[in-house]
Parts: sequence; structure tokens; C-alpha cells
Amino acid sequence: MKNIMDINLVDLAIGFIAMLIPIALLLYYKVRIIPDVLISLLRMVIQLALVAFYLEWIFEMNQAWINSLWVLVMIIVGIFTSIKRIGLNWKQFVVPFFIAGLTSVIIIDGFFLGFVIKLDYLFDARYFIPITGMILGNSLNHNIVGMTTYFKGLSEKSDLYYFLLTNTGNSKLALQSYIADAIKQGLNPLIATMSVIGLISLPGMMTGQILGGSSPVIAIKYQIMIMLAIFVGCTINLVLSIVFSNAFVFDPYGRLKDGILKKQ
Amino acid sequence: MIKCEHVSLSFQDKRVFDDLNFEIESGANASVSGESGKGKSSILKLLQGYILPDTGTISINGAKLSARSINQIRNSIAWIPQNINLPVHTGIKLMHLLGISERKESVYSFLDKLGLEEELLHADFQKISGGQKQRIVISICLSLDREIILMDEPTSSLDDASIQLLINAFKTLSNKTILSASHNHAWIKNSNQVIEL
Repeated sequence: MKNIMDINLVDLAIGFIAMLIPIALLLYYKVRIIPDVLISLLRMVIQLALVAFYLEWIFEMNQAWINSLWVLVMIIVGIFTSIKRIGLNWKQFVVPFFIAGLTSVIIIDGFFLGFVIKLDYLFDARYFIPITGMILGNSLNHNIVGMTTYFKGLSEKSDLYYFLLTNTGNSKLALQSYIADAIKQGLNPLIATMSVIGLISLPGMMTGQILGGSSPVIAIKYQIMIMLAIFVGCTINLVLSIVFSNAFVFDPYGRLKDGILKKQ
Repeated sequence: MIKCEHVSLSFQDKRVFDDLNFEIESGANASVSGESGKGKSSILKLLQGYILPDTGTISINGAKLSARSINQIRNSIAWIPQNINLPVHTGIKLMHLLGISERKESVYSFLDKLGLEEELLHADFQKISGGQKQRIVISICLSLDREIILMDEPTSSLDDASIQLLINAFKTLSNKTILSASHNHAWIKNSNQVIEL
């Protein structure tokens, strides 16, 4: 493995000079988003700087309970972000989304870290945190798309749901097309990404590993494993989110409860 | 048998009906009639548990409608709604959603009775008339062979000739309890029980 070439802070600051190009273009075309760009840039730097300090400390401690606590925080932040973005009432969805997120993390980490990479210490911060973070980060986006499709479908096509509920006499059959649609819409972007990976995009994790000194072959093997873990994790998380949410979405008569979606 | 005892229903303080009582014997062909807004469609939704009464009880084939009995009750009902604008593109797709085999003979038999070619099951609902679409949905729902058939305005998109075909087709159904909400005189006249709201 080659030595990692560090970027010193002055050089990193020089990197910000490149931002003058998009800012000049925004000014030229009178696109009034410069304050938003500057604020998000500042937020990105502060958030990542803080994460660097946390992670340095967490990696140094490398305690199972601290690492698990960090993952729990990631799950909870992801849940609240999903609920807000989908426009759901958080009181009804925190529990099902939490159970779905936690279950998918346990299954994926247990399988890929325990059986595929065969870590001696499953909670090793260097593997446990970034791999779980990648799964959760991807699940968040795909869950938002899938769950939005699901609840939008149910609320906009409720006549069809009630038609199917009586005529099939079975809530599983009545919901099947809504669930299938949600899974399809949720996973479609991931399928598209997998099919072109390496051709028109080089994934960030693999690039990071190569820049960090790993051989491209090792980086690619990790990337393949990560894509598998992301796809399996996203599918499990989305399906479980739907299944567990159903217990809170319908009343004992199978009717969609009022107030599931926040009034926009 | 469908039994409605002392049923009252209101929506947001507006009373729809009060102390409604009726009984429909098994095998009867009943119609609910009345002006718009009198609650004809609401009765059909009450019987399926989609709206619940303020007071009173509803029983179907001896089972009192409740959260516990609702699946058993729905399993005895074929529901043909008024809004045929279901977000489905073809009859075949609708059959898939209902778990009906594409080869189910009774669908073709009902289509024939209602004056339609079986090829229409593959036709895009947007490209056929409202009457054809309504008859396709009715044929598919009748093929479910449920004991009770609930229909909301089954003739709303049909011309006189098609209404007559529908009346004739329903005469061939035996041992079915039919309840429909309708404005159509010919359809109501064909019923052997009318519940006036």
C-alpha cells in the first residue's frame, strides 16, 4: 500500500478558489441562489469538520457500544429526515421506520461484515461505521421515493384500494399493486446506478479507497460488496418500512386512517 | 340476508338518515332509490364497513358487522362502484389485480350476455366508451361469484339497449342477493324490493 498523500489546510483552502467559477456564472446569468450556495458550502465544511473530530475520537476508542450508539444516531436522524421529506406525521411513523432501519442494519452488517469480510471484531469502527453509513444514506433516498409513491398512491387512488379490498376480500391482495409500485419506484434509481457503474460513474467509496492508497482491485472488490449491501439493505429497509407502517396506517376495518399525511 | 336495524348516519353534524330499518332476503333483487344526497351510496359503503353508523346494527348472513367479522363479510360481496374511472388501463389488468385468471370462462360468458366481444378486455379504457367500460367492470366483478352483489348506479353510463341486456343478464343469476343504488326507472322496476330514502 502506498503512503497516503495528505492535503494540508492551506492547499484545501486554495481548492475553494475554484468556487469563483460557478459564482461568476451565477452572477452572469443572474441566478439568485448565491446566498444559498454560500450557506450550504459553509454548512458542509462545519458539519464535515465536526464529523472528522467525532470520527477521530470514535475510531480511537473503537468501543462496541460507542460505535453502536453512533449508528443508532444515524438511524434516528435518517428516520426524521425521511418522515419530514415524505410529509408524514412523525408520531405514527417513528416506531415502524426505526424497526425497519434497525432490522436492515442488523441483517446487512451481520451478513457482510461477519460472513463476507469475516471481521474478528464486528463493531470495528473502520468497517462498521462507514459501511453502515453508506447503506443508511442510500436507504434514506430510496425509502423517501418508495414511501412517497406508496402513500401518494393510496391517498390518490383510494377508490381502487376499496374496490380491491372488497372484491378480493384480502388486504394483502388489495395492497399488492401499491407495494409493487412503491418498490419499483424506490429501487429504479439504484438499478440504473448499478447498470452503469464503472462506465459513466466511478463511485465515491472506490475513488476514496484508491486515493487512500488501496489497490484498484481491492477497491473494486469492496465496491462490489458495497453495491450488493446497498441493494439488499435498501430493499429490506423499504419493504419493512411499508409492512411495519401498515400496522399504523389502517384501522381495524382496513380503512386508511385520517391524518397520515401532513396537510401541505 | 342483509339486515339494517335502527341505523343512523351523519357526516360532520349533517344527518344523512335516522333510524333506518330494512331487511333484504337472500336471493332478492333490491334497489335503493331516492334523490341525490339522501344517502344511497352511503348504504352500500355501510354494508362494506367503509363508513360506520352512529347508531344501530348491520348484519349480513347472520354476522353482525364489526372489525372481527369484516373480512368474512367482504368475502361474500362483489362491489361494483359508481366511479368506473378506476386508475386501471384495461380489463385484463383489472383481472390481474383481482387475482382472476385470464382464462376464466365466466368473465367471457358475462361479457357475451352484456353484448361485448372478449377482445375488449385488452382494449385501453381511454379508447372505449364509458358504457363498454362499465359493462367490462360489471362482467369481471360478477365472475367473482359472490353471494351478495352491491352496485352503485350500475346503469349510469349505459344506453337503453345496454340497460335491457344488463337486466336480462341479472335475471339469469340465481341465489344472488342484489342491492343497487339507482335512479334508473327501468332498473328499479325490475327489482323485487325497493328501499325508498
